[in-house]
Amino acid sequence: MLRLDPDALGELVAGRRVAMVSGTNGKTTTTHFLAAAVREALGPDTDRLVHNADGANLHGGIASALGEHPRADLAVLETDERVVADLVRLGRPEVLVLLNFSRDQLDRNHEIKGLGRSWREALAAAGEDGPVVVANADEPLIVWAVQTARHVVWVDTATTWTQDASLCPQCGSPLVRGPEGWRCTGCDLAQPPATYRVVDDTIVRPDGTVVTPALNVPGGFNVSNAACALAAAELLGVGTEAALTGMRTVTSPAGRFGTVTISGSRARLLLAKNPAGWAEALPLATSATVVLAIDSAAADGRDVSWLWDVEYEQLAGRSVVATGPRAADLAVRLTYAGVEHRTVPDLAEALRGHPEPVDVVATYTPFQRLRKLGGL
Amino acid sequence: MSTPATTNDVAGQYGPGAGPRVEIVLVYQSLLGIYGDRGNATVLARRLAWRGFDAVLTVVEPGEALPDTGHVYLLGGGEDAAQISAVRALQADGGLHRAVDRGAVVFAVCAGYQIVGRTFTVGDPSVPGGEDQVIEGLGLLDVTTTRGPRRAVGEILSRWRGRDGQESLLTGFENHGGWTRLGPDARPLADVEVGIGNCDDGTEGAVAGTVVATYPHGPVLARNPALADHLLSLALGEDLAPLPRPEIDTLRAQRLAAVRARS
Repeated sequence: MLRLDPDALGELVAGRRVAMVSGTNGKTTTTHFLAAAVREALGPDTDRLVHNADGANLHGGIASALGEHPRADLAVLETDERVVADLVRLGRPEVLVLLNFSRDQLDRNHEIKGLGRSWREALAAAGEDGPVVVANADEPLIVWAVQTARHVVWVDTATTWTQDASLCPQCGSPLVRGPEGWRCTGCDLAQPPATYRVVDDTIVRPDGTVVTPALNVPGGFNVSNAACALAAAELLGVGTEAALTGMRTVTSPAGRFGTVTISGSRARLLLAKNPAGWAEALPLATSATVVLAIDSAAADGRDVSWLWDVEYEQLAGRSVVATGPRAADLAVRLTYAGVEHRTVPDLAEALRGHPEPVDVVATYTPFQRLRKLGGL
Repeated sequence: MSTPATTNDVAGQYGPGAGPRVEIVLVYQSLLGIYGDRGNATVLARRLAWRGFDAVLTVVEPGEALPDTGHVYLLGGGEDAAQISAVRALQADGGLHRAVDRGAVVFAVCAGYQIVGRTFTVGDPSVPGGEDQVIEGLGLLDVTTTRGPRRAVGEILSRWRGRDGQESLLTGFENHGGWTRLGPDARPLADVEVGIGNCDDGTEGAVAGTVVATYPHGPVLARNPALADHLLSLALGEDLAPLPRPEIDTLRAQRLAAVRARS
């Protein structure tokens, strides 16, 4: 990781209106939604906007995007979870969107609570100068982490993934879930009432109006991402209709959901980095043959035990190709899941010879390689 | 073969429906389930089903009583707060002690390993109020765990003297801050070739009677079918026929080569 002098990042961001987006899953797409909404409102003045669209979300990536757009006075920044606290301190953001917070790389899982604490402390230190936080009310760790924010706009994202939050981040007691959402059995931490709500494929705004985002990226989780982006866009002064029109222009943010040709086969690329992401992506993989690509580079997480928390059983009866440097681990998982498969470790080889389009679900590193192979 | 609805809820019946019944109990998945160790339950249930047994996989959560009918009880890895909740609930339940008394197998991984020992230490010295706390374990294994000088994270390879005394390699991924020392009533499961293991003293895991504990994830039984079958043999009191699966041989060859190349 390029670790810049923090002052340098502070200088680059100074004088700009900043909106940040972070979370484990969906931050690239949500940042694209928000940037597209802002761009729509700007009209021909698009030079006023800087957005790290390629997903380079650490100190170095953010600094280089800012450096390339010295005259942009609006910055929409995808921000890695580890950079949130720094950027809150240095960037004085107006809006901070926090989507979700689940285990990602197992070998670094023990850092999660510490990251949440760093957000809390940065928001507390920022005080009245801190950002308005747009936060997912369904995520206990996020709700706890933003208690110190000056103002929070809660979004009920109708999240269904609950496996990573069974204990209260405040007191350690068990959490229970009911019709009113989740609450702690040991202290007063509970799901806050939301002002933006996702209901099926619609978003209910604070005034009760219901809008249909009609996005051009698939998946219910993207409606949730769009709800968070809409809330953030409206806080920045973008009108509802302009925001929605902008968000509909997003089709393959940083390659996600994009279709490419690799080794003569048409392939749609889906990214899944962790069990929560796989739970979202696998149901979207509807092609007769599905290609699954696994690696264990640092960005993927060096421990692939998480394969056993993904419901690959749902692929039984389909034609599955296991690929990537850790294809052998996936092959064993699929064997125990009762899913017939072929193992072809080389990515380009795995994509060869498919007469019909295939859906490819990949972890981070093979996803980036596939983008390159497909020129996306 | 019937399949459970989802692996997110792995509970269910595995097997032909007419074979001998064997119950696998996955203990507190919501607390001890973040490192994929539920895969150990899937592995045992499938290996039984492939051999014609009817495996019943029961998932028990805190507040529910552990069944007294299990043949194998599985504990996995989890975070500090979850580990404390789990050990308190298990102490109150008492089911694991009863299981060991009647000769059932307890297989505990990582945080689960520490829980079945005498005491373990949790805490995060980097935060106020995060001072070390010594927590009473279940005392099923004569081991104690304290904070290690550094976190053990990475691929681990160890040599296990298998069921018949034949040496067998165990491969997995260890990720733990606690260092575990064995007392006289426990013996190591394996000798470390690459990695930290119990406390960088060359030993890994611990065994006493039908209680078997180890650090690696992977899940460890997915990568080491000989250990999986050993646990099943212990529980059933009979030897099991080998179950060749070329995918597993390929995976083992690859992991062994990778961990040795790095060391």
